[in-house]
Amino acid sequence: MSQLQTRFFTEDKRYAVDDVPFSIPAASEVLDLSNVINKLLEARNASHSKVEFDFLVRGQFLRTSLSTHMDTEGISTEDVVEIEYVERITAPEPEECMMHDDWISAVDADAEWILTGSYDKTAKIWSLEGKPVMTVAGHTDVVKDVAWVKRDGLNSLLLTASLDQTLLLWEWNSERNKVKAIHCCRGHTGSVDTVATDPTGSKFCSGSWDKMLKIWSAVPTDEADEVEEPADRPRKKQKTQQLGLTRTPIMTLSGHNEAVSSVLWCDSEEVCSASWDHTIRVWDVETGEMKTTLTGSKVFNSISYSPLCRRLASGSTDRHIRLWDPRTKDGSLVLLSLTSHTGWVTSVKWAPAHEHQLVSGSLDNLVKLWDTRSCKAPLYDLAAHEDKVFCVDWTESGLMLSGGADNKLYTYKYSGVQTDAGA
Amino acid sequence: MEESSTRTEEMENVQKTEKKKRSKEEEEEEEEVFNLNNKTPGDEGDDEDPSDSEDSVFSGLEDSGSDSEDEEEEEGSHEEEDLKDDQILQPEKKKGGLTAEEEKKEDEYRQDSSDEEDIRNTVGNIPMDWYKDFPHIGYNLDGKKIFKPIRNKDELDEFLDKMDNPDYWRTIHDKQTGSDIILSDDQVALVNRLQRGQFGDLHFNEYQPQVEFFSSDVMLHPVTNRPADKRSFIPSLVEKEKVSKLVHAIKMGWIKPKRHEEAGGRFYDLWANEDCTTSLARLKMHLPAPRAPLPGHMESYNPPPRYLFTEEEKALWEQQDVSDRKCPFVPRRFSSLLQVPAFPRFLHERFERCLDLYLCPRQRKLRVNVNPEDLIPKLPKPKDLQPFPTTQSLVYRGHSGLVRSISVSPSGQWLASGSDDGSVRFWEVCSSRCLKTVQVGGAVKSVAWNPNTSLSLLAVALDSVVLVLSPSLADKQVVSASERLLAGPQGEEPAEEAGPVTWTDTEGEELNQGIRLKIQHPKPVQQVAWHAKGDYLASVMPDHSSHLQVFIHQVSRRRSQNPFRKNKGLVQCVSFHPIRPYFFVATQRSVRIYNLVKQEMTKKLQANSKWISSMAVHPGGDHVICGSYDCRLSWFDLDLSTKPYKMLRHHKKAVRGVAYHRLYPLFASASDDGSVIVCHGTVYNDLLQNPLLVPVKVLRGHVITHDLGVLDVTFHPSQPWVFSSGADATIRLFT
Repeated sequence: MSQLQTRFFTEDKRYAVDDVPFSIPAASEVLDLSNVINKLLEARNASHSKVEFDFLVRGQFLRTSLSTHMDTEGISTEDVVEIEYVERITAPEPEECMMHDDWISAVDADAEWILTGSYDKTAKIWSLEGKPVMTVAGHTDVVKDVAWVKRDGLNSLLLTASLDQTLLLWEWNSERNKVKAIHCCRGHTGSVDTVATDPTGSKFCSGSWDKMLKIWSAVPTDEADEVEEPADRPRKKQKTQQLGLTRTPIMTLSGHNEAVSSVLWCDSEEVCSASWDHTIRVWDVETGEMKTTLTGSKVFNSISYSPLCRRLASGSTDRHIRLWDPRTKDGSLVLLSLTSHTGWVTSVKWAPAHEHQLVSGSLDNLVKLWDTRSCKAPLYDLAAHEDKVFCVDWTESGLMLSGGADNKLYTYKYSGVQTDAGA
Repeated sequence: MEESSTRTEEMENVQKTEKKKRSKEEEEEEEEVFNLNNKTPGDEGDDEDPSDSEDSVFSGLEDSGSDSEDEEEEEGSHEEEDLKDDQILQPEKKKGGLTAEEEKKEDEYRQDSSDEEDIRNTVGNIPMDWYKDFPHIGYNLDGKKIFKPIRNKDELDEFLDKMDNPDYWRTIHDKQTGSDIILSDDQVALVNRLQRGQFGDLHFNEYQPQVEFFSSDVMLHPVTNRPADKRSFIPSLVEKEKVSKLVHAIKMGWIKPKRHEEAGGRFYDLWANEDCTTSLARLKMHLPAPRAPLPGHMESYNPPPRYLFTEEEKALWEQQDVSDRKCPFVPRRFSSLLQVPAFPRFLHERFERCLDLYLCPRQRKLRVNVNPEDLIPKLPKPKDLQPFPTTQSLVYRGHSGLVRSISVSPSGQWLASGSDDGSVRFWEVCSSRCLKTVQVGGAVKSVAWNPNTSLSLLAVALDSVVLVLSPSLADKQVVSASERLLAGPQGEEPAEEAGPVTWTDTEGEELNQGIRLKIQHPKPVQQVAWHAKGDYLASVMPDHSSHLQVFIHQVSRRRSQNPFRKNKGLVQCVSFHPIRPYFFVATQRSVRIYNLVKQEMTKKLQANSKWISSMAVHPGGDHVICGSYDCRLSWFDLDLSTKPYKMLRHHKKAVRGVAYHRLYPLFASASDDGSVIVCHGTVYNDLLQNPLLVPVKVLRGHVITHDLGVLDVTFHPSQPWVFSSGADATIRLFT
């Protein structure tokens, strides 16, 4: 078996070749195949400049020689092999390094600004170019999670969740560069570890160490909610510390047996939460009921949902990234597990514009870029950090971010998104 | 004369044919052969044949003698036909009788009787050598002499004849007539056939279907229509007569019935009484008599000189008692075998030997054939016992001295550690972040987090002080609740100010750090332990010479008491029972269990180790593990025994710390060899089932510093994770 009948196809119109079978050596690898395609393209178009390609055989990336790949995947070598090719994703490169004063616990970036939460009890706003814009200070303890709520012209709403059991809703004016605490969200009896805003920006959900999920309104108002406080409690200190108006939750979702580590909104009615009790639960926000429980075997640190492929990715303490279908009824189906990290996976994030790609951060100091079509090995290891990675994010503009215990927030330029955006 | 003889002949023939049931041809051929040989061997047989064949037609019984009547009656009808047949044959025979020998021969075919007299020579069946001196050899039918042939053959003629005559082999000398007969080809073939046991006639079909005239089938046209005789239905009178004669003879005693020979004659089975199994066993388990050892050099008539006794040895030998002597004789030397005298004690020695054989207990030693691998208990594979910690996940760095003690908050979010660098640190478990450092000003010996989830307090033992810290890391309500607990009884003046223990509130800088209470002890405190409810705190001050070794403090009322009046040994560590009011006190060699309500000792566990270092009580309260400085870990089942149910010797060096998991069936031990060994320990509710202890994982990571490895180990309250603190100033989390 030295020659294989193959047929190449692509969805990228720029690089289309004739739909005829080719006979190519079975031992050829990605580079050889890439050369073949480039030759073909040059034959069609003399002005073609060389492009690196990646190849998919039956939805799996080719990483070894063609024959061994087909052996391991159990594909018959008798038939004509259909090989899809895509432009190779170039390695993401660290662009900016933003130094913080302390460990970075959370990062959230949108199209214009980057928001980071840090262990120095503050949150920071950065421009995409890496310039510090604003420091949001107000919490009495470590900021564990941050989230953008809404951008309304120059005014932005942002959220910080902290170990001091509160969440603060801030309003930030980018022109005047003023930040103001609007609401102090009280109600949790443990550190608030995670917060997520719903797609409309009118509500947000927080998860805490006290095993509760709470849904809050994100709409700023002028009056404080009533908080029933125990009578015998000394109030003096509280008053002085109070920042903004007190806000109480709309709804409390209880059901987890351990701390909630990560929440997200699947859509405007559905909240998904991951917990230390080894479960991922899907909740209906309207009724406050639990819809589905996905049971794992280890503590979940982080989950991420991709509306493109409708999959949940979870990072847990056993080094694996697992993909789940939140709509399964039996709730125990792991679709795929991506294993390459050697420490806890602290953070996962799906690409906002690509249905196959996700990025993960781990305690082994590595950030990895994954493609679900190649689950054996990640596409790229990003070894920029010198200490534990706690958070990763991915903007729609194709910027990847990661922050960790080395006080650095790295941004990575990533080129693969544009070409595959339509895919 | 001639007519009468033929007449008789005819009559005989008739009788003959009447009797015969065989086919005619067969008989003829047979006759021919017999005639040739001039012998009638089958005569008598032929006579009896018919009676045999007609036997037992009507009944199974023997009807002896009654045959002939039947036959005559039966065959009467056939008689006429046979007679006719014979009459037809007769003219030929007459001719044959008159004509020459050739014709005679032909006639022989017509003659079918073998028992008939030979018609060629009437001398009868006599030895023919009676006629050897006569010129004739007999008389023919007419009374004329039959002369011998003129030829007189001698041996030479015979030989020449044999050589020359091609028909010699088929020439037969007929003694009756003295003539030679040359057999024709047909006759030779006939002889051959008969010799091969075949039928004489070529054309006879011996396998032709036989018509069963007398069978069980009821025939439509039976051979005879006579109904069965009456006598075939009634018992035979003859038999009856015979039997009655026998009976009479027996009655009269003329005949004695044969008797069985009585068992037990001259010979009898010696081992008849022995049952089969023992005899088999005796055969199987045969033990040969022990052999007398072969004579060695010492017994030789000319032994090597070193075997010969010296004077002292000889004197000693003579002094010794007979039974004490090593050898029963004195080796002596002779120049040749001839000079060897008779052994004086030969008879005695033989007697001894017989005694030995008689008295020596011959017993087969049962050899235990056990595969050593079968003795190893079947343990489940560690893989099946998951979850348990397998890999190091986080390292908590920050201390500068060896970390003696760690404790995890009941919520599982915080980890407190006390170090020799004089600080207590609070760590966030999930990120290994040190959130708080409290300088306490002295090497911390022990830290213990209050197990009550509605309180957030940490007890720290250093020097001779026990500090109670409120780290304010929990919910504000919890913090305030614990502060209220620490505030003590309001308005009530503690009475035992003069006691050995003083309680003081802290102020200023210490208060800001979170230190709330100081409990001053008279001696250095080694360990602190909380009761599960979180109100009582026990502290240990090891001291050889005093009974003031253990204090139990009640935090809410700020009272301390020494529960023991006597010094029972150096107290190493103490622990409260998680559910019941029991108190475990580990001294160097044993663990005492006290009932706090009855104020008495209920049990004393013998650890079988030299120096207990640490102790942990199972969350169920029925099991205790003790680590000791002699590398052992002993598991006690309190319901089972006061002795260890199991000793685990997995560590190479002293065991420093042991811990149980609160929820999972796991326990861990930390040792100076730098490893933490996690074991699976399922405890069953069934009292009959013993705990299942399986070592599942050796966790390494700590660097051995100053010969000290891992100093303390503790489990996460809700996850199967284990923390260990080491002399290398780090704390490690294994998941």
